[in-house]
Amino acid sequence: MYCYLYDELIHDNKKYEKEVLRIENRLTDLGITGKTSRLALFRNAEEMIRDEVDRGVSTVVILGNDDTVKKILNVLVESDVVLGLIPIGPNNELAKLLGVPEGLDACDVLSARRVEEIDVGTINNRRFLTGVSISDFKAELMCNEGKYRIAPTTKSKLLIRNLDEYSDPCDGMLSAEMESVVKKGVLFKRNILKKSILPFKSLAIRSDRPITVLVDGDEMEGTRFDVGIEPNVLKVITGKERVFAS
Amino acid sequence: MSSIEGNETIIAQGVKVEGEFYSDGNVVIDGELKGSISTAMGLSVGNSAKIHANVSAQSAVIAGEVKGNINAIDSIELLASSVVTGDIETNLISVAPGARVNGKVTMGKVSSNRGDEVVDNEE
Repeated sequence: MYCYLYDELIHDNKKYEKEVLRIENRLTDLGITGKTSRLALFRNAEEMIRDEVDRGVSTVVILGNDDTVKKILNVLVESDVVLGLIPIGPNNELAKLLGVPEGLDACDVLSARRVEEIDVGTINNRRFLTGVSISDFKAELMCNEGKYRIAPTTKSKLLIRNLDEYSDPCDGMLSAEMESVVKKGVLFKRNILKKSILPFKSLAIRSDRPITVLVDGDEMEGTRFDVGIEPNVLKVITGKERVFAS
Repeated sequence: MSSIEGNETIIAQGVKVEGEFYSDGNVVIDGELKGSISTAMGLSVGNSAKIHANVSAQSAVIAGEVKGNINAIDSIELLASSVVTGDIETNLISVAPGARVNGKVTMGKVSSNRGDEVVDNEE
C-alpha cells in the first residue's frame, strides 16, 4: 500500500496546485494511488509515518524536497518501507542523485519501481544520507578503534561521503576525503590541492576546540563526533538516470 | 575487525598518520606516517612520502623515504629517488640506479608479519 506524504511547502502553496493535480491524475492512470498524509506545522512527521506503517503502508512517497526526506529518515530506516520521491520545488538534490526527475515525470519512475537498498551514515546517533563536511579541518580522525590517527599538517577540508556522484551508497562503506593545500615550487610557490582518501566503516573526529560540522547541510557543533554506517538500510526507488557511483 | 576493506586508501601530502595503520586494500602514501603500516595488497610510497614505520605489504613500490623494516611478500621495487633505512625481506627485488638502501636484504620464503613490531633503524 502506498502513502503519499505532502510537505507543507506543497499543499500550502498555490504555485504548485496545478502541478500536484496533474501528478495525482498521472498516479491514478498508472494505478498507484494510495493514502494521502499532509505535513503541517504542529504535526510530527515521524509519528504520522509510523502510524501509517502500523496500518500496513509499505511504500512512502514524498511530495516535497530533501528537507521532507530528512524529517522522516529515522522512520524509513527503522521500518521496512520503501521510499519514493516526487520532487517538487527547490532543494531537491537527493532526487537528482537518485535519478528521479522533477514533477510529473517522477510518477513513471515510481511506477517502474526499481528499488535499491542504500547505506545510511550516522554521526553522534544522527542519521545522514549524503555526507558530512568540515570546511576548515584542524582536528584528528581516530580510526580502527583508535589504533591510528590521521591529521592534516596544512590547511585542509574534510568531506565524508555516502551518497553523491562520486560515491557508491550501496557498498557498506563511507569515504573520508581530506583536501589539503600544499605549497609547490622553489622560487614561485603556488598552492596545490592534494586529496587523501580513506574508505571506512567507523571513525571518530576529535578536536580540542568546538568545531562546526555540516551534516546533510545542517550544522552541528561539538568536539567529538562518532561517524558510522548502517549498511543497506534504506530502500529507495531510483530512476535509470541515477548519478551515484556503483 | 579492520575499518578499511577492499578499497584504495590514499594518504596525500599535507596529511600525517600516527599509529598502527592497517588496510585490506591498496595503499598510496605521499604524506607522513609514523608507527607501523600493513596492507594485504599493494603499497606505493611516493616521492614526497616520509615513513618512519615497519612496513608489511603484498608488494611495494618505493619512491620516497622509509625508515623501518620492509616485508613485501611478492616483490619490492625501489625507484631512483627511494631512501630506505632498514632491512628488506622479499621474494623479488628491483633496485633502480640512485636508490639508497642501508640495511640487510633477505630474499626467499617471505611471509606476512603485519609489521607490528616497530624497529627503529636510526643511523
